[in-house]
Amino acid sequence: MGGLPGGPVDRSQHEVEDWERLADAINGALEGRGLQTTDQHRRAIESLEDYRHLSYYERWAAATERLLVEKGLLTSEEIDERAAQLERRWS
Amino acid sequence: MSEHHPHEETARSPYAARIRAIEALLLEKDVLTEPEVQDRISYMEARSPANGAKLVARAWLDDDFNELLLSDGKAAASALGMDPEHPAEFVVVENTPTIHNLIVCTLCSCYPRAILGRPPDWYKSFEYRSRAVREPRAVMREFGFEPPEEVEVLVHDSTADVRYMVLPMRPSGTEELGEQELARLVTRDTLVGVSVPLAPDHPIPADA
Amino acid sequence: MTYEPGDRIRVVPAGKPGHVRTPSYLRGKSGWVEAVIGPFPNPEDLAYGLSGLPARNLYKVGFKQVDLWDDYEGQAEDILYADVYEHWLEPGEGGTA
Repeated sequence: MGGLPGGPVDRSQHEVEDWERLADAINGALEGRGLQTTDQHRRAIESLEDYRHLSYYERWAAATERLLVEKGLLTSEEIDERAAQLERRWS
Repeated sequence: MSEHHPHEETARSPYAARIRAIEALLLEKDVLTEPEVQDRISYMEARSPANGAKLVARAWLDDDFNELLLSDGKAAASALGMDPEHPAEFVVVENTPTIHNLIVCTLCSCYPRAILGRPPDWYKSFEYRSRAVREPRAVMREFGFEPPEEVEVLVHDSTADVRYMVLPMRPSGTEELGEQELARLVTRDTLVGVSVPLAPDHPIPADA
Repeated sequence: MTYEPGDRIRVVPAGKPGHVRTPSYLRGKSGWVEAVIGPFPNPEDLAYGLSGLPARNLYKVGFKQVDLWDDYEGQAEDILYADVYEHWLEPGEGGTA
């Protein structure tokens, strides 16, 4: 990414949302347990097809999900199902 | 866990539900425990640019500490009760009358989180990551800072396991100030290198 | 290959697939070794769950900005540093740092 042309730097700061804090925390906790490493997480972020369309913490969460599924700790289906349940509960 | 705010309805990311689903599932399967997750949340909340400001202020007042900070950043941080990350290195680079340092991570957003907490959004932006290496002076200008003609700009791209922080120069007219007052002049942006410390009579912004 | 501070180096020009920690803007560029940082397990292997051993030497490498960008707007003495692993470096042409 270094050296590519770019527009002005947006200096606004968004309030970190609770889910973003959670994404950070889950990552840290998994690393603490030795279940993933920083390098694995970076590689997973880089491999995301929609890298350019996701926000910073969306990339983090998507990469953590990818690693958990890759390692067989969770399946995409159970994540989909539980996420859908939560969305229904919230609306 | 968090309140659902109606005005955010259309803006809420689908990843909010996904990460909560992941949390719930990992707790149910005993992969992680609730205290572990809470500890990590507290860990990040406890870290902030105030730590960096403290390191800088101490270095300005104490030559031995200054030397330690520049030769062994982790030891200096530990000496002030901070907990730097392992196995990453923590290196502090010094501004002088002829050198100004700027930190970036073009590959992702490496930042000394264990000392300073979360990086600002702009640091993680594609624009900063692409332009800071190629046109550092133009980027700094956008932040309202222009190094004088005779100053060399050194950009550090944190491409590996080293995390960098800038030790800015002590502003003039601060001879009477104590450590806490000096620390208040050092902003988060100054520690990355896009600006220099506030002047002693400058009003302190709420969040810098 | 072990380098000392002051050695001229060039970043290996070719890219390679997978997770790499040497930015593309440095490929094929010439600079110098500023400092030896020390040995670390190779992050390019760690990224795939491998041990990353044997450890590789990590170097702080300097480049003149005017050597990196044709349109560099700044002083001739401005420098860019990056932390680069030994296997991404090859000896560069002679000259003063």
